[in-house]
Amino acid sequence: MSGLETTAKTLADQSVTQPIAVAPLFADVRARFDSAAADVHDEAAWKQLRDAWLGRRSGVLTQITDNWLKPAAPELKRAVGAALNDLRAHVEAQIEARRVAIESGAEQATLARDRVDLSLPGVIRPVGSHHLLCQIFEEIEDIFVSIGFSVVEGPEIETPYYNFEALNIPEHHPVRDDMDTFYIEVPPASAGKPPGQLLLRTHTSPMQIRTMEKQKPPVRVIVPGKVYRRDNPDATHSFAFHQVEGLAVDSDITFCDFTGTIEYFVKQFFGANVKTRFRPSYFPFTEPSVEFDVSCIFCGGSGCGASGGVCSKCKGAGWIELFGAGMVDPAVYGFVGYDPKKVSGFAFGMGIDRLAMLKYGIEDLQVFFQNDIRFLRQFP
Amino acid sequence: MKIVYNWLKEFVDVTAAPQELASRLALSGTNIGSVENGPHGAVIDAEVGSNRPDCLSHLGIAREVAAIYRQPLVFTPPHPAESAAAKASDAVRVSIESPELCGRYTARVIRNVKVQPPPKWLKDRLEASGVASISNIVDITNFVMLELGNPMHAFDLDRVRDHRIVIRRAKPGEKMQTLDGVERVMDPGMPLVCDGDGSRSIGSGVMGGAATEISFATKNVLLECAWFDPVSIRRAARLLKLHTEASTRFGRGADPEMAEVASRRAAELILQLAGGELLSGVVDVYPGRRAPRKIRVTRAEILRVMGADIPDREIERILSALGFAPVRVDENRGAEGSLLAAWECTQPSWRADVEREIDLVEEIARVHGLDKFPARLPAARQGAQRLPHYEAEARLRERLIGLGYREINTIPHVSEERDALFRPEGVTPARIANPLSEEANVLRSTGAVTMAATLEWNLNHSQRNLRLFEIARHYRLNVAANGGDAQPVETRVLTLGATGEAREKGLYDSARDFSFADLKGDLDSVGALAGGLRWDHGGPDWLNTGKRGRIRLGEGEIGAAGQLARRVAEKLKLRQDVFLAELALGPLYCMYYGVKNARRYQPIPRFPAVERDFSLLLAEGTAFDDVRKTIQSVGITELVSIEAADLFRGKNIPAGKYSLLVRVTFQSRETTLTDSQIADYSAQIVAALEKNLVAQLRTG
Repeated sequence: MSGLETTAKTLADQSVTQPIAVAPLFADVRARFDSAAADVHDEAAWKQLRDAWLGRRSGVLTQITDNWLKPAAPELKRAVGAALNDLRAHVEAQIEARRVAIESGAEQATLARDRVDLSLPGVIRPVGSHHLLCQIFEEIEDIFVSIGFSVVEGPEIETPYYNFEALNIPEHHPVRDDMDTFYIEVPPASAGKPPGQLLLRTHTSPMQIRTMEKQKPPVRVIVPGKVYRRDNPDATHSFAFHQVEGLAVDSDITFCDFTGTIEYFVKQFFGANVKTRFRPSYFPFTEPSVEFDVSCIFCGGSGCGASGGVCSKCKGAGWIELFGAGMVDPAVYGFVGYDPKKVSGFAFGMGIDRLAMLKYGIEDLQVFFQNDIRFLRQFP
Repeated sequence: MKIVYNWLKEFVDVTAAPQELASRLALSGTNIGSVENGPHGAVIDAEVGSNRPDCLSHLGIAREVAAIYRQPLVFTPPHPAESAAAKASDAVRVSIESPELCGRYTARVIRNVKVQPPPKWLKDRLEASGVASISNIVDITNFVMLELGNPMHAFDLDRVRDHRIVIRRAKPGEKMQTLDGVERVMDPGMPLVCDGDGSRSIGSGVMGGAATEISFATKNVLLECAWFDPVSIRRAARLLKLHTEASTRFGRGADPEMAEVASRRAAELILQLAGGELLSGVVDVYPGRRAPRKIRVTRAEILRVMGADIPDREIERILSALGFAPVRVDENRGAEGSLLAAWECTQPSWRADVEREIDLVEEIARVHGLDKFPARLPAARQGAQRLPHYEAEARLRERLIGLGYREINTIPHVSEERDALFRPEGVTPARIANPLSEEANVLRSTGAVTMAATLEWNLNHSQRNLRLFEIARHYRLNVAANGGDAQPVETRVLTLGATGEAREKGLYDSARDFSFADLKGDLDSVGALAGGLRWDHGGPDWLNTGKRGRIRLGEGEIGAAGQLARRVAEKLKLRQDVFLAELALGPLYCMYYGVKNARRYQPIPRFPAVERDFSLLLAEGTAFDDVRKTIQSVGITELVSIEAADLFRGKNIPAGKYSLLVRVTFQSRETTLTDSQIADYSAQIVAALEKNLVAQLRTG
């Protein structure tokens, strides 16, 4: 298109001499543009429209400038100039609007084909996992390290001295009957000399003795590790299980420090709402000795089951026995050369497998050691 | 110990309901198993600790209840009417030949009793306590034991030869028929009660003998209440596998002073329920009599151990209620709450477990209430240390998990047969002397043995694609050549196990089986933490000869890796290829810290690197390492890396040869390398490869 018939001629040729006659001319041009623009639906037609109306050489607006405005009589120039500006603004805006409309339409079409399906999985690179018990160990270590306890380790094959005697459990003590012990077959040493006895530690407590033998107070340690008792395996027994021992000895450790430490730990581990209590108990290597209970994690201490009746975990008691502990018995200090009149301390030994079972609602202890990947996967 | 609530009330006026009473008992140290309401009222099952034999009686529990509820304990020793004419000491003689086994022996004699079924109240009490009823006389001995804590025995006096009792040590192999009709072999550690000349045993501290048993024909009764040494009784019960109410009480330590009182109590009941005549006096041989021990407890010690104060009156009230008869003995007597306060206490005969000041502190604290001591955190006095290898192990775990391995935790007990499959020559395993089963009679001497078992478990449960690791110990005995004691050696090892697909088929990738190269690559990624592993041919014979390698780090060998040998896989019934590796972690951790501390920043090169590929035809058996060493031997300073980029055998490759694409990278730190320099280097490399390895350069 090279302009319209009206824009090819000057105003004088069309006998327009009064400013009042300019407006109808422009209105006609505008109506023509609108109808042309309405037919534009793709990129090629849009380019034609743009060139026909805004082309610098022969576009309609250039023609109006050249044929109407430039030769116009002085009394018309003002009216023509104003009308032309209005028309230009309208045409430019409409052409841009058409461009946007056409482009978004094209996008819709390509989108439908190329867009990712977010409901499909990505490429999953296989990632491994920590064993749950390792996670629990780390959590416990973090809590105790944060309050000044160092982490130490010790041998699992022990001597009766460290496992029993030095913990104030002499040979015929009834507690030895309760801790059924695995002994190691020791090959005969030199002729005539009886072989030294070796056993699998029944608790992590031997490290109390080994630690105190090695260092002077202040002592603040925890001892994570495997322990062994000669129990037939079932849902709550395994002949190997795990403990974290704790020991704090200093010139000024009291029962209050002991309960404070244990309560701090258990609230970090199970949450601030858990209630605690200490019941007097008996262990040869602590005095006073306690059993430490927490309010049942499953029923919140109410003793009631979720679907009525009695809570199956605490048997309705509202409390769950967590572990044994107490103030270090002065007799133990005698074995390590500490002065029982000058130092005092506390010790505890918690079963890690049991803590994990309570925290995650695991019913069968054996799953920890079967290592079925359907179990491992649940604790990434 | 079953506590019959109504029985308890005979000794203390407790008003609390049974459930509430049980919970208060628990909080003061008597562990409670259950509270049940039965036909004879509430019965509280107390799990009495081995240190508290005094609580194995209603009187003992009543003493605890009295202390908790601030009630008086009501118990008056009985004084049954005695015959004016006959004396017990004329009717029976007692001698103790082994005073170390029998510290006291009391005998009373009741004549002309009528043995008959017991009255209902007695039967009910025993039933509530879970003890079978036999006859009035036998039931009375059991009743008094449950009431006062002293086991007793009634003999048919007329069946006791010479009316003479001798207590002596058992002879080796000596036999006795016990009341349950079983003939048992005694052990020289056990005390025996014998009659006549002492040759025939009629009783022990565990169970009476059948020979002198009370029957419904019995007329005259010899009532024994004795005190036997706890250690020998526990030993006897264990050896005889016979745990009785008597062995439990004697084995933990009965009250020797109460023995004579209990005997009177039983005599009183016999006169009431079986009639007869009680001979006057008692035959009481008491070689084990001890003066009561004095124990001092001070406020200073209470404060030092417990960390919070307890008022004088409360201390004195608790000690008195428990029978310790406290007396203030310090200079400031009369001054309430004095820091110097000290009390001298007398150990009651029923509390052999309380010997020291700390024991008294515990007694005071537990009755006062452990919840009365305010919790606080102790001051930290030094920095907390992690385990020395903590960081190295954390990095190792993190890397293995990133590589897709899941951590496992195994029990080290395995069967001897399994362990032997993986155990290196010459290693002495740690065998269990008293295993629970033959499946678990030795501690693993390698990590591989339990890893293989874990792969087996998962494969048997249809879990076929596995990559597992374990960080744990293996156990061996170091048997000294010079005849010294065997030393246990526990070594921390990393074990890897993998089988199935390295990559499963998915939307975007095809499946690929796990191969030796996967295992080697994963181990090299781990080894990179410690400066890199080196691989040599060889390894343990449980690995496939063609697909295994020894792993070295620094100067030492730290382990091996490879595919499980078919011979072993078949034994374990593993039907797919399995890969295992085991590394000693000590040297790895040591090198981790060495490498980390020596690590320094290398400036990033400013000039571009240039790569050149060499497609080589090599004779089979030529290792990549030979190629690398040959290229390095040329001595080009700008050479920065030599990589194997592609490997090909088969079509267009002559037999006995293989094709290797080697990518060499050159880079200078001073300048941009020119084409002619690179061409020169390449020519030198090709010449060296041709000369040293008879390599042919492939073209096209």
